[in-house]
Amino acid sequence: MDRRNFLKTSLVVGGTALTCKNARAQEQHNPDEFVGILVDTTRCIGCRACEIACGETWGMHVPDVLNDGALETHRNTDENQFTVVNKFETEKGDVFVKKQCMHCYQAACATACPTEAMKQMQGGPVVWRGNKCIGCRFCMVSCPFDMPKFEYDEWNPKLQKCTMCFERLEKGQKPACVAACPTDALMFGPRLKNLEVARHRIYSHPDEYEHHIYGEHEVGGTGYIYLSAVPFDQIGFRTDLGKRPYPEYTKEFLYAVPMILFGVPAFLLGLNALADSSRSGPESEFSLEFDIDNEGDK
Amino acid sequence: MNNNVAINASFGNLFRFFIQELKPRGPWLTPFNIISIPVILVGLGILVYRFIHGLGSVTNLSQETPWGLWMGFDVVTGVALAGGAYVITFVVYVVGLDKYHGIVRATVLNGLLAYCFYGGALLIDLGRPWNAPNPYIGNSFGFSSVLFLICWHFLLYMVCEFVEFSPVIAEWLHLEKAKRFLKKLTLATVVLGITLSILHQSGLGALFLMAKPKIHPLWWSEFIPILFFVSSIYAGLSMIIFEGTVSHKVFSHLIPEKHHHHFDDIVFGLAKGAAITMFVYYFFKALLFIHDKQWDLIADGWGLWYLLEVIGFVLVPALMFAFGFKHRSLRIIKIAAVMALIGIILNRLNVSVIAFNWYSVAHYVPTWQEIVVTFMVIFSELWVFRWFVTRLPVFDSGH
Amino acid sequence: MDSFTYVNIFETKGLEYLLLLCFWGLFVYLLKYLSTPDKKRKDSKR
Repeated sequence: MDRRNFLKTSLVVGGTALTCKNARAQEQHNPDEFVGILVDTTRCIGCRACEIACGETWGMHVPDVLNDGALETHRNTDENQFTVVNKFETEKGDVFVKKQCMHCYQAACATACPTEAMKQMQGGPVVWRGNKCIGCRFCMVSCPFDMPKFEYDEWNPKLQKCTMCFERLEKGQKPACVAACPTDALMFGPRLKNLEVARHRIYSHPDEYEHHIYGEHEVGGTGYIYLSAVPFDQIGFRTDLGKRPYPEYTKEFLYAVPMILFGVPAFLLGLNALADSSRSGPESEFSLEFDIDNEGDK
Repeated sequence: MNNNVAINASFGNLFRFFIQELKPRGPWLTPFNIISIPVILVGLGILVYRFIHGLGSVTNLSQETPWGLWMGFDVVTGVALAGGAYVITFVVYVVGLDKYHGIVRATVLNGLLAYCFYGGALLIDLGRPWNAPNPYIGNSFGFSSVLFLICWHFLLYMVCEFVEFSPVIAEWLHLEKAKRFLKKLTLATVVLGITLSILHQSGLGALFLMAKPKIHPLWWSEFIPILFFVSSIYAGLSMIIFEGTVSHKVFSHLIPEKHHHHFDDIVFGLAKGAAITMFVYYFFKALLFIHDKQWDLIADGWGLWYLLEVIGFVLVPALMFAFGFKHRSLRIIKIAAVMALIGIILNRLNVSVIAFNWYSVAHYVPTWQEIVVTFMVIFSELWVFRWFVTRLPVFDSGH
Repeated sequence: MDSFTYVNIFETKGLEYLLLLCFWGLFVYLLKYLSTPDKKRKDSKR
């Protein structure tokens, strides 16, 4: 490339970059900005409308909320139900907690997947794509919340978990559970805004809330964030997960892989050349060839 | 006489030669056959059932314990035990210690078959195995995944080991030219194979890095990859001692007399290597124990279980190896090798199955079907191994 | 709620270096032990 062309190109590139920057600054909503759901457990009345809406939207188990007495036990999500509401008896009365995939912003499951079947979509929802999945269940091993659920009784099993209603989001709708919630216990929106709302609620009612937003920093930040009136370990949350995003636990190892692939073969060949020359003495020339029958001939 | 047929290789003759070689030799009703044939048949039946009715129909896997015996023993443990191939090829081809030349062929064959069968066991554990080519054919590379790395390394390493072993096949078929050519590839594949082994032995440990909150803190460490790599070295050495001893008993008619004496010498050398490696590994464990301030954790049952593994099946066999080497006692070395192998099995199962979800009330226990299939994998590997060593010049270099 | 207190993440470093010294002492001993196999027993066995 000659100098004139180079200058021209850099001017064009520079100009484009500038315009882009301006455009981004003016943009109201950045599609890459993470979205999420704020769950305010102090507002939840345990009506389980979210469970019904979720089951109906996804063609899965629709619970009979009036008669099944499911709140008496602590349930977990399973391959037939993406979300469940559990009741916890605490010093501040009964607390209802919705449980589903947390949609981590550095998702361990998506990092673990060898085929990108678990994938983080634009805006943050983590979804599963069956045409890619090999069923290795490494996502289940890696998920700190044990959320991907495997259909153990199918010959062609799927991995089931909440998708934050990704298809509905693409159409500009809210997730089904949020749309169904009668008490605004669930709030969908950009994560930054959710955090602001959460902080505002804590600061304006400092005695009613635990001064902690679960999911703000846990495992590097999650799409679902929770507010609570009681400490989170009393309502079924793990508080020992740490703030480090889980993919970072394998980062160093994966970083070292090319390092070893560069270095070790070179080291081995060098060692071999050294061993070879010291063994066979000055009269023999350097040779890469090896005789597997050396020993037999001697 | 078979060999002349093969050289003059019209296709039909070659085919007949293979058919000939597939026929069993020796008596049918040996104790090994009587035990292994029913196990393999039942195992195959279980697999058919599993592919119709799903994994849950024959295993005790659950949403909390997605990996059980098939992953934990067949894949994670089996690959560690197959580590002997890369250690021995390093010693013989890279460092050039000719003393160990006599066991290269058997060890590489063992490694190759172990990877085929134990890596293959990954397939029966996959929920959707028909998608298994996905990580390879390019429509979905999960570069961020440790398992993606392991998938590729298994495949590449199997190719390497096959090339390392291929001169023996060429010798069997009396293809002298091909043999000479294939031998030229040996050093290159050995170097690549060692590099790949370092990475996937440690990679099997790296699989559990993100399972931090689920594995008992005594077994989880950010250094699991290094621990897995170092322990695979002595796992491989112990396995060579164990497997060589058994082979020399079972296949003694195939092994020339001079090799018997020579093998004792080799065992002493391997024992020394194992003693040093295990000693270093023990101190790795001790360092992690101190760094993570784990002395609070050893008071309960898990702590005792941990001490049993680390002292009873690492430190004790390490000292036994050293003692056996010093006092030229094959018996002590062989017992130490078995103990070291038990230690490896314990360690790998602890990380992947036993101490996984240790806090869970309903702890995973394998079903009899899982155990039968595991034995099926082991027995079918032994069948193929036996087929190879009775036909190919594995124990004797043929000249 | 997290609190801001000092946590010494290098608390065990001293112990780790002590372990290292132990290791070197024992390792040199092990190597010396292994470098001279018991010749007498070997000869009598053969």
